[in-house]
Amino acid sequence: MKRWVTAALLAMPGTAHAEVLLSRNEIQQTLSFGPWPPSFQADPSNRVSNNPRAIALGAALFSDPILSVDGAFACASCHDPEQAFTTSEPRAVGRVLLDRNTPTLKNLAGLRWYGWAGKSDSLWAASLHPIIEKREMAHSKESLKDAIVASPYINDFEAIFGDTQNQGADLVLVNIAKTLSSYLETLTTERSQFDDFRDALERGDMAAASNYPDAAQRGLQLFLGRGNCSLCHNGLRFSNNEFHDAGVPYFLSETEVDEGRFGGLNFLLSSAYTLDGDWSDDPAKQGAWAVRSIRRSHSDFGTFRTPSLRDVAETAPYMHDGSLNDLEAVVRHYNEIDVERLHADGEAILSELNLSEQEVSDLVAFLETLSSSP
Amino acid sequence: MIRWFFWFLIFSGTAMACESNGQRMVEETQNAPEVHLVVDEILLAQPFSVLVSICNEITVGDIRVDAIMPAHQHGLNYVPEVTALGDGVFRVDQILFHMPGLWQLQIDVEFRGESLSYTSEIELK
Repeated sequence: MKRWVTAALLAMPGTAHAEVLLSRNEIQQTLSFGPWPPSFQADPSNRVSNNPRAIALGAALFSDPILSVDGAFACASCHDPEQAFTTSEPRAVGRVLLDRNTPTLKNLAGLRWYGWAGKSDSLWAASLHPIIEKREMAHSKESLKDAIVASPYINDFEAIFGDTQNQGADLVLVNIAKTLSSYLETLTTERSQFDDFRDALERGDMAAASNYPDAAQRGLQLFLGRGNCSLCHNGLRFSNNEFHDAGVPYFLSETEVDEGRFGGLNFLLSSAYTLDGDWSDDPAKQGAWAVRSIRRSHSDFGTFRTPSLRDVAETAPYMHDGSLNDLEAVVRHYNEIDVERLHADGEAILSELNLSEQEVSDLVAFLETLSSSP
Repeated sequence: MIRWFFWFLIFSGTAMACESNGQRMVEETQNAPEVHLVVDEILLAQPFSVLVSICNEITVGDIRVDAIMPAHQHGLNYVPEVTALGDGVFRVDQILFHMPGLWQLQIDVEFRGESLSYTSEIELK
């Protein structure tokens, strides 16, 4: 393994040696996680994507309980902006205890699938479903339209979408979801210590790169290599945005199971709100190929979407059911994974890693550098 | 698009002249007609396209395309879309490799009622 030792530091007697520990191949792999942030591309299926007026209205609606039928809570009640747009409960609490952990809402623009089970293929559809889900905001389309018409937001809403008298309740629902989506598209994580390291490697600036802690570099090597993490956690967001069995139990209770992607696909394929449907504003139906060409499998059962790892240290607890309290617990879960919990006919990827205590610590150190907060 | 057009011109009416174009796919059967593959740029977890050329005078109406990761025992999450361009040339869209590593692209072709399975290995970093 070739290492790049910082010449400047070597020349300074008494200074601890700072090194880039990665091999050439590991550096090439590391470059694939950036640059960050990516350039913004408007959503062609949402005609108010990147529209400043819609973004402002979406931001206001996001924090207003008007979007729940009885004014009980707002989107921000579960997706708390002060807590990285999630909350600390293992499983979300709507009107009842819900099935899954509340995912963060950052870095959602341009994904292929949304939600733990991928039941939506656009951010506006993902914003729409909680509004009319009985266990969450519980509006009907009609009650939502009545609430908007009677609200202080009506002028802004009609300035964007026209007279509500000419809009059916279905259209008002979709338009509200598209304003929320236009706001959510603006939520991104800041640059992280890892991004500075990655960009320094790209510039060939080994002196700057060597400021990245050795523990994080060793953790990155495990992430890319023996840990097998980057098989699923890859790309700019550290997620392939596909669905995998992570060996986490999918029993909600003694009698209920979370079907994961299997149920998500049932929902998606019966939904009117997909990129292939009439509510998309894109005549070219870009992105609709995915919903048209999904290959279903019984091994979809109990699989969940790979979460992004950007700002991961800010979004505890972890996994689809929030069952792991901190990053160390996540690493130990994969380190000691019970392969008996995995689908017998599913992917053959996960196995016990047999990491040492030092290696567990290094992997956590790496994950912590993916956050924008110091 | 220019590249596809270029290939289309090459293959138009000259299905037997494809020996030197693209990568020859592997088929174990002796004297099996050659099948060649031209792969466009592959980005991890993004859909990509390939051109498949059947080097045979027999008309082939359709082909079946799939891929697996042998080491991981899984295949594609999406069904590729096959479009016949004529003269034994097919464009295959919406192939998506969602993991880095070694993939095996598989193409089944029917010749005179016999199904032949061709493979090509593609390493995705």
